[in-house]
Amino acid sequence: MILVRQMRGLLAKRRILATLVRRDLRVRYGGSPIGYLWTIIDPLAMAAIYFVVFTLIFKARSVGYQPYVLFLIVGLLAWQWFSGSLTETSRALLAESRLIRSTNLPRELWVVRVVIAKMIEFILSMPVLAGFTIFYLIKGDAHLNARLLLVPVGLFLQFVLLTGIGLILAPITTLVTDTARVVRIVLRMGFYSTPIIYGVHAAPASLREVLLFNPMTGILELYRAGFFPHDLNYKSVVLSAVISFGILVIGTLVFERLESSVLKEI
Amino acid sequence: MAAPVIQADNLGIDFFRNRRRKMSLREMIYTGGTSHNKETFKALDQVSFTVQPGEAVGLIGGNGSGKSTLLKMIAGVLLPDHGSVRVRGGVAPLIELTGGFIGELSARENVYLTSGLHGLTKEQVDERFESIIDFAGPQVRAALDTPFRHFSSGMQVRLGFAVITTLDEPIVLVDEVLAVGDRAFREKCYTRMESMLSGGKTLFLVSHSESDLRRFAKRGLYLQQGRLVGDGDIEDVLEQYNADADAGT
Repeated sequence: MILVRQMRGLLAKRRILATLVRRDLRVRYGGSPIGYLWTIIDPLAMAAIYFVVFTLIFKARSVGYQPYVLFLIVGLLAWQWFSGSLTETSRALLAESRLIRSTNLPRELWVVRVVIAKMIEFILSMPVLAGFTIFYLIKGDAHLNARLLLVPVGLFLQFVLLTGIGLILAPITTLVTDTARVVRIVLRMGFYSTPIIYGVHAAPASLREVLLFNPMTGILELYRAGFFPHDLNYKSVVLSAVISFGILVIGTLVFERLESSVLKEI
Repeated sequence: MAAPVIQADNLGIDFFRNRRRKMSLREMIYTGGTSHNKETFKALDQVSFTVQPGEAVGLIGGNGSGKSTLLKMIAGVLLPDHGSVRVRGGVAPLIELTGGFIGELSARENVYLTSGLHGLTKEQVDERFESIIDFAGPQVRAALDTPFRHFSSGMQVRLGFAVITTLDEPIVLVDEVLAVGDRAFREKCYTRMESMLSGGKTLFLVSHSESDLRRFAKRGLYLQQGRLVGDGDIEDVLEQYNADADAGT
Protein backbone atom coordinates (compact mmCIF):
# COMPACT_ATOMS: atom_id res chain seq x y z
CA MET A 1 0.00 0.00 0.00
CA ILE A 2 1.13 3.45 -0.83
CA LEU A 3 1.30 4.93 2.67
CA VAL A 4 3.33 2.03 4.02
CA ARG A 5 6.33 2.68 1.80
CA GLN A 6 6.49 6.36 2.75
CA MET A 7 6.07 5.51 6.42
CA ARG A 8 8.92 3.02 6.26
CA GLY A 9 11.16 5.56 4.54
CA LEU A 10 10.46 8.12 7.24
CA LEU A 11 10.85 5.67 10.09
CA ALA A 12 14.25 4.66 8.78
CA LYS A 13 15.28 8.30 8.96
CA ARG A 14 13.60 9.14 12.23
CA ARG A 15 16.83 10.21 13.86
CA ILE A 16 17.42 12.76 11.11
CA LEU A 17 13.82 13.87 11.46
CA ALA A 18 14.41 14.42 15.17
CA THR A 19 17.58 16.41 14.42
CA LEU A 20 15.69 18.68 12.05
CA VAL A 21 12.81 19.22 14.44
CA ARG A 22 15.22 20.06 17.24
CA ARG A 23 16.94 22.55 14.97
CA ASP A 24 13.61 24.16 14.11
CA LEU A 25 12.72 24.53 17.74
CA ARG A 26 16.16 25.88 18.60
CA VAL A 27 15.89 28.50 15.87
CA ARG A 28 12.35 29.30 16.97
CA TYR A 29 13.00 29.64 20.67
CA GLY A 30 16.61 30.72 20.37
CA GLY A 31 17.21 29.56 23.93
CA SER A 32 15.31 32.54 25.33
CA PRO A 33 11.96 32.86 27.06
CA ILE A 34 11.00 35.62 24.59
CA GLY A 35 10.78 32.99 21.88
CA TYR A 36 8.27 31.05 23.92
CA LEU A 37 6.31 34.21 24.58
CA TRP A 38 5.80 34.71 20.85
CA THR A 39 4.13 31.31 20.53
CA ILE A 40 1.50 32.09 23.10
CA ILE A 41 1.11 35.85 22.75
CA ASP A 42 -0.68 35.70 19.43
CA PRO A 43 -3.46 33.31 20.48
CA LEU A 44 -3.80 35.14 23.79
CA ALA A 45 -4.21 38.51 22.08
CA MET A 46 -6.75 37.03 19.68
CA ALA A 47 -8.64 35.43 22.56
CA ALA A 48 -8.81 38.82 24.31
CA ILE A 49 -10.13 40.50 21.15
CA TYR A 50 -12.83 37.92 20.48
CA PHE A 51 -13.80 37.84 24.11
CA VAL A 52 -14.37 41.60 24.13
CA VAL A 53 -16.15 41.65 20.78
CA PHE A 54 -18.47 38.74 21.38
CA THR A 55 -19.28 38.92 25.06
CA LEU A 56 -19.08 42.65 25.72
CA ILE A 57 -20.13 44.19 22.41
CA PHE A 58 -22.39 41.64 20.68
CA LYS A 59 -23.50 40.18 24.01
CA ALA A 60 -23.68 36.88 22.16
CA ARG A 61 -22.97 34.69 25.15
CA SER A 62 -24.29 31.57 23.51
CA VAL A 63 -21.89 31.39 20.52
CA GLY A 64 -19.48 29.15 22.40
CA TYR A 65 -19.48 27.00 25.47
CA GLN A 66 -18.93 28.55 28.88
CA PRO A 67 -16.43 29.75 29.99
CA TYR A 68 -16.01 31.38 26.60
CA VAL A 69 -12.35 32.34 27.09
CA LEU A 70 -11.44 28.70 27.62
CA PHE A 71 -13.49 27.76 24.57
CA LEU A 72 -11.64 30.39 22.51
CA ILE A 73 -8.17 29.43 23.69
CA VAL A 74 -8.57 25.76 22.81
CA GLY A 75 -9.70 26.72 19.33
CA LEU A 76 -7.13 29.44 18.76
CA LEU A 77 -4.16 27.37 19.91
CA ALA A 78 -5.15 24.49 17.64
CA TRP A 79 -5.74 26.91 14.78
CA GLN A 80 -2.31 28.40 15.28
CA TRP A 81 -0.83 24.96 14.70
CA PHE A 82 -3.06 24.55 11.66
CA SER A 83 -2.29 27.87 9.99
CA GLY A 84 1.40 27.92 10.90
CA SER A 85 1.76 24.44 9.54
CA LEU A 86 -0.01 25.26 6.27
CA THR A 87 2.01 28.40 5.69
CA GLU A 88 5.29 26.68 6.38
CA THR A 89 4.67 23.34 4.72
CA SER A 90 3.66 25.13 1.54
CA ARG A 91 7.14 26.68 1.52
CA ALA A 92 8.88 23.61 2.94
CA LEU A 93 10.56 22.44 -0.25
CA LEU A 94 11.48 25.91 -1.48
CA ALA A 95 12.89 27.05 1.83
CA GLU A 96 15.16 24.03 2.16
CA SER A 97 16.09 23.75 -1.49
CA ARG A 98 19.82 23.77 -0.73
CA LEU A 99 19.49 20.92 1.71
CA ILE A 100 17.22 18.98 -0.60
CA ARG A 101 19.69 19.37 -3.44
CA SER A 102 22.54 18.03 -1.37
CA THR A 103 21.05 15.18 0.67
CA ASN A 104 19.21 12.11 -0.49
CA LEU A 105 16.48 11.84 2.13
CA PRO A 106 12.87 10.86 1.56
CA ARG A 107 11.45 14.19 0.41
CA GLU A 108 8.28 13.75 2.49
CA LEU A 109 10.51 14.34 5.49
CA TRP A 110 10.71 18.08 4.79
CA VAL A 111 6.95 18.36 5.12
CA VAL A 112 6.49 16.05 8.10
CA ARG A 113 9.26 17.80 9.97
CA VAL A 114 7.42 21.15 9.82
CA VAL A 115 4.17 19.57 11.00
CA ILE A 116 5.94 17.92 13.94
CA ALA A 117 7.78 21.10 14.94
CA LYS A 118 4.50 23.02 14.92
CA MET A 119 2.81 20.24 16.87
CA ILE A 120 5.46 20.50 19.56
CA GLU A 121 4.89 24.25 19.70
CA PHE A 122 1.20 23.52 20.17
CA ILE A 123 1.91 21.06 22.96
CA LEU A 124 4.30 23.53 24.57
CA SER A 125 1.54 26.13 24.59
CA MET A 126 -0.73 23.80 26.57
CA PRO A 127 0.40 25.21 29.95
CA VAL A 128 -1.47 28.39 29.02
CA LEU A 129 -4.58 26.33 28.60
CA ALA A 130 -3.89 24.59 31.90
CA GLY A 131 -3.48 27.97 33.58
CA PHE A 132 -6.87 29.19 32.40
CA THR A 133 -8.47 25.88 33.30
CA ILE A 134 -7.16 26.07 36.86
CA PHE A 135 -8.38 29.66 37.11
CA TYR A 136 -11.88 28.71 36.03
CA LEU A 137 -11.85 25.56 38.17
CA ILE A 138 -11.14 27.70 41.22
CA LYS A 139 -13.89 30.10 40.16
CA GLY A 140 -16.12 27.05 39.84
CA ASP A 141 -17.02 27.63 36.16
CA ALA A 142 -15.05 24.85 34.53
CA HIS A 143 -15.93 21.16 34.42
CA LEU A 144 -13.10 18.84 33.55
CA ASN A 145 -14.09 15.31 32.65
CA ALA A 146 -12.60 12.02 31.54
CA ARG A 147 -12.98 12.95 27.88
CA LEU A 148 -9.69 14.84 28.28
CA LEU A 149 -8.25 11.53 27.09
CA LEU A 150 -9.55 12.43 23.63
CA VAL A 151 -6.97 15.23 23.30
CA PRO A 152 -4.24 12.86 21.99
CA VAL A 153 -6.72 11.47 19.47
CA GLY A 154 -7.31 15.01 18.26
CA LEU A 155 -3.56 15.62 18.06
CA PHE A 156 -3.13 12.51 15.97
CA LEU A 157 -5.95 13.38 13.58
CA GLN A 158 -4.73 16.93 13.14
CA PHE A 159 -1.23 15.61 12.47
CA VAL A 160 -2.60 13.31 9.76
CA LEU A 161 -4.64 16.12 8.24
CA LEU A 162 -1.79 18.65 8.24
CA THR A 163 0.67 16.17 6.77
CA GLY A 164 -1.80 15.42 3.99
CA ILE A 165 -2.39 19.08 3.18
CA GLY A 166 1.33 19.80 3.40
CA LEU A 167 2.16 17.01 0.95
CA ILE A 168 -0.27 18.59 -1.52
CA LEU A 169 0.83 22.18 -1.01
CA ALA A 170 4.61 21.81 -0.86
CA PRO A 171 5.16 20.55 -4.42
CA ILE A 172 2.45 22.77 -5.89
CA THR A 173 3.99 25.91 -4.38
CA THR A 174 7.28 24.96 -5.98
CA LEU A 175 5.72 24.63 -9.42
CA VAL A 176 3.06 27.34 -9.32
CA THR A 177 4.54 30.58 -8.10
CA ASP A 178 1.55 32.32 -6.58
CA THR A 179 0.21 29.47 -4.46
CA ALA A 180 1.39 31.20 -1.28
CA ARG A 181 -1.05 34.07 -1.82
CA VAL A 182 -3.92 31.67 -2.34
CA VAL A 183 -2.99 29.79 0.82
CA ARG A 184 -3.14 33.04 2.76
CA ILE A 185 -6.64 33.86 1.54
CA VAL A 186 -7.90 30.34 2.07
CA LEU A 187 -6.53 30.36 5.61
CA ARG A 188 -8.40 33.56 6.41
CA MET A 189 -11.61 32.04 5.09
CA GLY A 190 -10.86 28.79 6.85
CA PHE A 191 -10.59 30.59 10.17
CA TYR A 192 -14.18 31.75 9.97
CA SER A 193 -15.54 28.53 8.52
CA THR A 194 -14.08 26.55 11.42
CA PRO A 195 -15.84 26.52 14.79
CA ILE A 196 -13.07 28.41 16.60
CA ILE A 197 -14.83 31.52 17.84
CA TYR A 198 -18.25 29.91 17.75
CA GLY A 199 -19.58 26.42 18.32
CA VAL A 200 -21.36 24.31 15.70
CA HIS A 201 -24.52 24.62 17.80
CA ALA A 202 -24.55 28.39 17.24
CA ALA A 203 -24.71 28.06 13.45
CA PRO A 204 -28.07 27.94 11.67
CA ALA A 205 -29.27 24.40 11.03
CA SER A 206 -28.58 24.65 7.30
CA LEU A 207 -24.91 25.46 7.88
CA ARG A 208 -24.38 22.92 10.64
CA GLU A 209 -24.25 20.01 8.23
CA VAL A 210 -21.78 21.87 6.03
CA LEU A 211 -19.50 22.64 8.97
CA LEU A 212 -19.25 18.95 9.74
CA PHE A 213 -17.38 18.46 6.49
CA ASN A 214 -14.63 20.73 7.73
CA PRO A 215 -12.19 18.19 9.20
CA MET A 216 -11.11 20.70 11.84
CA THR A 217 -14.64 20.70 13.28
CA GLY A 218 -14.31 17.18 14.58
CA ILE A 219 -10.74 17.72 15.73
CA LEU A 220 -11.73 20.77 17.80
CA GLU A 221 -14.62 18.73 19.15
CA LEU A 222 -12.11 16.19 20.46
CA TYR A 223 -9.94 18.85 22.07
CA ARG A 224 -12.89 20.54 23.75
CA ALA A 225 -14.74 17.45 24.92
CA GLY A 226 -12.80 17.19 28.17
CA PHE A 227 -13.30 20.83 29.12
CA PHE A 228 -17.01 21.21 28.51
CA PRO A 229 -19.95 19.03 29.52
CA HIS A 230 -21.75 19.16 26.15
CA ASP A 231 -22.60 16.00 24.20
CA LEU A 232 -19.85 14.84 21.91
CA ASN A 233 -20.75 15.26 18.24
CA TYR A 234 -19.72 11.79 17.06
CA LYS A 235 -20.67 12.45 13.49
CA SER A 236 -18.20 15.31 13.20
CA VAL A 237 -15.42 13.20 14.72
CA VAL A 238 -15.98 10.28 12.37
CA LEU A 239 -16.23 12.56 9.34
CA SER A 240 -13.07 14.38 10.29
CA ALA A 241 -11.16 11.11 10.71
CA VAL A 242 -12.32 9.89 7.31
CA ILE A 243 -11.55 13.19 5.58
CA SER A 244 -8.15 13.56 7.28
CA PHE A 245 -7.01 10.13 6.18
CA GLY A 246 -8.47 10.73 2.73
CA ILE A 247 -6.43 13.90 2.41
CA LEU A 248 -3.32 12.10 3.59
CA VAL A 249 -3.72 9.49 0.86
CA ILE A 250 -4.37 12.16 -1.78
CA GLY A 251 -1.38 14.14 -0.51
CA THR A 252 0.90 11.12 -0.72
CA LEU A 253 -0.22 10.47 -4.30
CA VAL A 254 0.17 14.11 -5.36
CA PHE A 255 3.59 14.30 -3.76
CA GLU A 256 4.77 11.13 -5.46
CA ARG A 257 3.46 12.31 -8.80
CA LEU A 258 5.13 15.74 -8.64
CA GLU A 259 8.35 14.81 -6.87
CA SER A 260 10.58 14.48 -9.91
CA SER A 261 9.35 17.77 -11.43
CA VAL A 262 9.94 19.53 -8.15
CA LEU A 263 13.50 18.24 -7.94
CA LYS A 264 14.21 19.68 -11.37
CA GLU A 265 12.87 23.08 -10.38
CA ILE A 266 14.53 23.72 -7.05
CA MET B 1 33.57 -9.93 -10.02
CA ALA B 2 31.54 -8.38 -7.23
CA ALA B 3 28.11 -6.91 -7.80
CA PRO B 4 28.26 -3.40 -9.25
CA VAL B 5 27.79 -0.50 -6.83
CA ILE B 6 26.34 1.76 -9.47
CA GLN B 7 24.21 0.43 -12.27
CA ALA B 8 22.62 2.80 -14.78
CA ASP B 9 20.19 1.39 -17.33
CA ASN B 10 19.02 3.53 -20.20
CA LEU B 11 19.07 6.49 -17.88
CA GLY B 12 17.33 9.59 -19.22
CA ILE B 13 15.95 12.87 -17.96
CA ASP B 14 14.12 15.69 -19.72
CA PHE B 15 14.34 19.33 -18.79
CA PHE B 16 12.24 22.23 -19.93
CA ARG B 17 14.14 24.52 -22.19
CA ASN B 18 13.67 27.54 -19.99
CA ARG B 19 14.69 26.37 -16.63
CA ARG B 20 11.86 27.66 -14.51
CA ARG B 21 8.30 26.73 -15.27
CA LYS B 22 6.92 30.09 -14.27
CA MET B 23 3.41 28.82 -13.90
CA SER B 24 1.09 31.12 -12.09
CA LEU B 25 -2.53 30.68 -11.12
CA ARG B 26 -3.38 34.21 -12.17
CA GLU B 27 -2.15 33.48 -15.64
CA MET B 28 -3.96 30.14 -15.80
CA ILE B 29 -7.22 31.78 -14.89
CA TYR B 30 -6.90 34.79 -17.20
CA THR B 31 -5.49 33.15 -20.28
CA GLY B 32 -6.65 29.59 -19.72
CA GLY B 33 -3.13 28.32 -20.04
CA THR B 34 0.41 29.14 -19.16
CA SER B 35 3.10 30.80 -21.18
CA HIS B 36 5.67 28.36 -20.02
CA ASN B 37 7.57 26.79 -22.82
CA LYS B 38 6.79 23.09 -22.94
CA GLU B 39 9.67 22.32 -25.23
CA THR B 40 12.03 19.88 -23.55
CA PHE B 41 15.51 18.64 -24.18
CA LYS B 42 17.17 15.50 -22.99
CA ALA B 43 19.85 16.35 -20.48
CA LEU B 44 20.68 12.65 -20.38
CA ASP B 45 19.65 10.13 -22.97
CA GLN B 46 19.98 6.35 -22.79
CA VAL B 47 23.00 6.31 -20.56
CA SER B 48 23.98 2.82 -19.41
CA PHE B 49 27.04 1.75 -17.47
CA THR B 50 28.06 -0.14 -14.35
CA VAL B 51 30.67 0.71 -11.77
CA GLN B 52 32.37 -1.95 -9.63
CA PRO B 53 33.29 -1.35 -6.00
CA GLY B 54 36.61 0.41 -5.60
CA GLU B 55 36.65 1.79 -9.12
CA ALA B 56 37.73 5.36 -9.77
CA VAL B 57 35.75 6.87 -12.60
CA GLY B 58 36.28 10.26 -14.21
CA LEU B 59 33.38 11.91 -15.97
CA ILE B 60 34.43 13.93 -18.99
CA GLY B 61 32.49 16.22 -21.27
CA GLY B 62 31.99 19.80 -22.37
CA ASN B 63 29.78 22.33 -20.61
CA GLY B 64 26.16 21.25 -20.57
CA SER B 65 26.87 17.68 -21.53
CA GLY B 66 25.02 16.33 -18.51
CA LYS B 67 27.89 15.55 -16.14
CA SER B 68 26.44 17.26 -13.09
CA THR B 69 22.98 15.97 -13.89
CA LEU B 70 24.32 12.42 -13.94
CA LEU B 71 26.11 12.95 -10.65
CA LYS B 72 22.93 14.31 -9.05
CA MET B 73 20.97 11.29 -10.22
CA ILE B 74 23.52 8.94 -8.72
CA ALA B 75 23.31 10.96 -5.52
CA GLY B 76 19.53 10.52 -5.64
CA VAL B 77 18.70 14.23 -5.60
CA LEU B 78 17.26 14.09 -9.11
CA LEU B 79 14.90 11.35 -10.27
CA PRO B 80 15.13 9.83 -13.76
CA ASP B 81 12.30 10.24 -16.27
CA HIS B 82 13.43 7.14 -18.19
CA GLY B 83 15.40 4.09 -17.22
CA SER B 84 16.87 3.63 -13.78
CA VAL B 85 19.99 4.01 -11.73
CA ARG B 86 20.65 1.64 -8.87
CA VAL B 87 23.14 2.53 -6.22
CA ARG B 88 24.17 0.01 -3.58
CA GLY B 89 25.40 1.62 -0.41
CA GLY B 90 25.39 5.23 0.67
CA VAL B 91 26.76 8.15 -1.25
CA ALA B 92 28.93 10.98 0.10
CA PRO B 93 28.15 13.80 -2.30
CA LEU B 94 30.84 16.45 -2.62
CA ILE B 95 28.44 18.35 -4.84
CA GLU B 96 26.98 21.29 -3.01
CA LEU B 97 29.44 21.14 -0.19
CA THR B 98 27.86 23.77 1.99
CA GLY B 99 24.29 22.85 1.05
CA GLY B 100 23.46 21.45 4.46
CA PHE B 101 24.94 24.34 6.40
CA ILE B 102 22.78 26.99 8.01
CA GLY B 103 24.20 30.50 8.08
CA GLU B 104 22.73 31.43 11.45
CA LEU B 105 24.02 28.44 13.38
CA SER B 106 27.61 28.19 14.58
CA ALA B 107 30.18 26.05 12.80
CA ARG B 108 30.06 23.54 15.64
CA GLU B 109 26.28 23.15 15.41
CA ASN B 110 26.53 22.90 11.64
CA VAL B 111 29.03 20.05 11.80
CA TYR B 112 26.64 18.07 14.00
CA LEU B 113 23.64 18.96 11.89
CA THR B 114 25.16 18.10 8.51
CA SER B 115 26.73 14.87 9.69
CA GLY B 116 23.41 14.05 11.33
CA LEU B 117 21.63 14.60 8.03
CA HIS B 118 24.01 12.12 6.45
CA GLY B 119 23.23 9.56 9.10
CA LEU B 120 25.95 9.86 11.74
CA THR B 121 24.92 9.64 15.37
CA LYS B 122 25.94 12.28 17.87
CA GLU B 123 28.50 9.91 19.39
CA GLN B 124 30.06 9.24 16.00
CA VAL B 125 30.37 12.96 15.36
CA ASP B 126 31.88 13.49 18.82
CA GLU B 127 34.53 10.96 17.89
CA ARG B 128 35.36 12.61 14.59
CA PHE B 129 34.88 16.22 15.54
CA GLU B 130 38.55 16.90 16.26
CA SER B 131 39.76 15.39 13.04
CA ILE B 132 37.14 17.30 11.04
CA ILE B 133 38.23 20.61 12.53
CA ASP B 134 41.90 19.68 12.16
CA PHE B 135 41.35 19.11 8.50
CA ALA B 136 39.38 22.33 8.02
CA GLY B 137 42.32 24.27 9.42
CA PRO B 138 43.23 26.64 12.25
CA GLN B 139 41.11 29.53 10.91
CA VAL B 140 38.00 27.39 11.24
CA ARG B 141 39.04 26.18 14.67
CA ALA B 142 39.38 29.76 15.88
CA ALA B 143 35.87 30.56 14.68
CA LEU B 144 34.07 27.43 15.85
CA ASP B 145 31.35 29.27 17.70
CA THR B 146 30.71 32.12 15.31
CA PRO B 147 27.81 31.91 12.89
CA PHE B 148 28.66 30.05 9.73
CA ARG B 149 27.70 32.96 7.47
CA HIS B 150 30.62 35.00 8.84
CA PHE B 151 33.04 32.45 7.39
CA SER B 152 34.94 33.29 4.23
CA SER B 153 33.84 31.19 1.29
CA GLY B 154 37.14 29.30 1.44
CA MET B 155 36.58 28.41 5.08
CA GLN B 156 33.01 27.33 4.34
CA VAL B 157 34.11 24.97 1.59
CA ARG B 158 36.93 23.60 3.72
CA LEU B 159 34.58 22.76 6.54
CA GLY B 160 32.12 21.25 4.07
CA PHE B 161 34.79 19.09 2.50
CA ALA B 162 36.05 18.00 5.91
CA VAL B 163 32.58 16.92 7.04
CA ILE B 164 31.52 15.08 3.90
CA THR B 165 34.79 13.21 3.54
CA THR B 166 34.58 11.85 7.09
CA LEU B 167 31.31 10.10 6.32
CA ASP B 168 31.53 6.34 6.03
CA GLU B 169 29.70 6.14 2.73
CA PRO B 170 31.31 3.71 0.28
CA ILE B 171 30.70 5.90 -2.79
CA VAL B 172 32.17 9.38 -3.14
CA LEU B 173 30.91 11.80 -5.77
CA VAL B 174 33.08 14.80 -6.52
CA ASP B 175 31.90 17.69 -8.68
CA GLU B 176 34.58 20.24 -9.49
CA VAL B 177 35.04 21.08 -5.82
CA LEU B 178 38.78 20.70 -6.11
CA ALA B 179 38.94 24.00 -7.95
CA VAL B 180 38.30 25.88 -4.73
CA GLY B 181 40.50 26.47 -1.76
CA ASP B 182 44.09 27.61 -1.79
CA ARG B 183 47.01 25.55 -3.00
CA ALA B 184 47.87 24.09 0.37
CA PHE B 185 44.31 23.02 1.03
CA ARG B 186 43.98 21.52 -2.42
CA GLU B 187 46.97 19.32 -1.72
CA LYS B 188 45.30 18.22 1.52
CA CYS B 189 42.14 17.37 -0.40
CA TYR B 190 44.13 15.33 -2.90
CA THR B 191 45.79 13.38 -0.12
CA ARG B 192 42.46 12.77 1.56
CA MET B 193 40.92 11.56 -1.68
CA GLU B 194 43.85 9.26 -2.36
CA SER B 195 43.55 7.74 1.08
CA MET B 196 39.82 7.26 0.53
CA LEU B 197 40.54 5.52 -2.76
CA SER B 198 43.14 3.24 -1.28
CA GLY B 199 40.65 2.52 1.49
CA GLY B 200 38.49 0.82 -1.13
CA LYS B 201 35.93 3.54 -1.74
CA THR B 202 34.35 4.05 -5.12
CA LEU B 203 35.10 7.44 -6.61
CA PHE B 204 33.11 9.30 -9.22
CA LEU B 205 34.82 12.47 -10.29
CA VAL B 206 33.72 15.33 -12.53
CA SER B 207 36.47 17.66 -13.59
CA HIS B 208 37.76 19.74 -16.43
CA SER B 209 41.29 19.36 -15.18
CA GLU B 210 43.11 16.64 -17.07
CA SER B 211 45.76 16.33 -14.40
CA ASP B 212 43.13 15.74 -11.71
CA LEU B 213 41.43 13.17 -13.88
CA ARG B 214 44.68 11.37 -14.63
CA ARG B 215 45.69 11.47 -11.00
CA PHE B 216 42.54 9.91 -9.59
CA ALA B 217 40.60 8.13 -12.28
CA LYS B 218 41.51 4.91 -14.02
CA ARG B 219 38.40 4.76 -16.12
CA GLY B 220 36.75 7.53 -18.10
CA LEU B 221 33.14 8.09 -19.09
CA TYR B 222 32.65 10.62 -21.85
CA LEU B 223 29.32 12.42 -22.16
CA GLN B 224 28.36 14.42 -25.20
CA GLN B 225 25.02 16.22 -25.19
CA GLY B 226 23.56 13.77 -22.73
CA ARG B 227 24.75 10.66 -24.49
CA LEU B 228 27.50 8.35 -23.36
CA VAL B 229 29.95 8.31 -26.26
CA GLY B 230 33.04 6.91 -24.59
CA ASP B 231 33.77 4.45 -21.81
CA GLY B 232 37.22 3.05 -21.24
CA ASP B 233 40.68 3.70 -19.95
CA ILE B 234 41.01 7.32 -18.82
CA GLU B 235 43.90 8.01 -21.23
CA ASP B 236 41.95 6.77 -24.24
CA VAL B 237 38.82 8.66 -23.30
CA LEU B 238 40.75 11.88 -22.70
CA GLU B 239 42.35 11.44 -26.10
CA GLN B 240 38.93 10.96 -27.67
CA TYR B 241 37.59 14.03 -25.88
CA ASN B 242 40.52 16.18 -26.93
CA ALA B 243 40.25 15.01 -30.52
CA ASP B 244 36.55 15.94 -30.52
CA ALA B 245 37.22 19.28 -28.90
CA ASP B 246 39.91 20.12 -31.42
CA ALA B 247 37.67 19.06 -34.29
CA GLY B 248 35.06 21.45 -32.89
CA THR B 249 32.22 19.04 -32.22
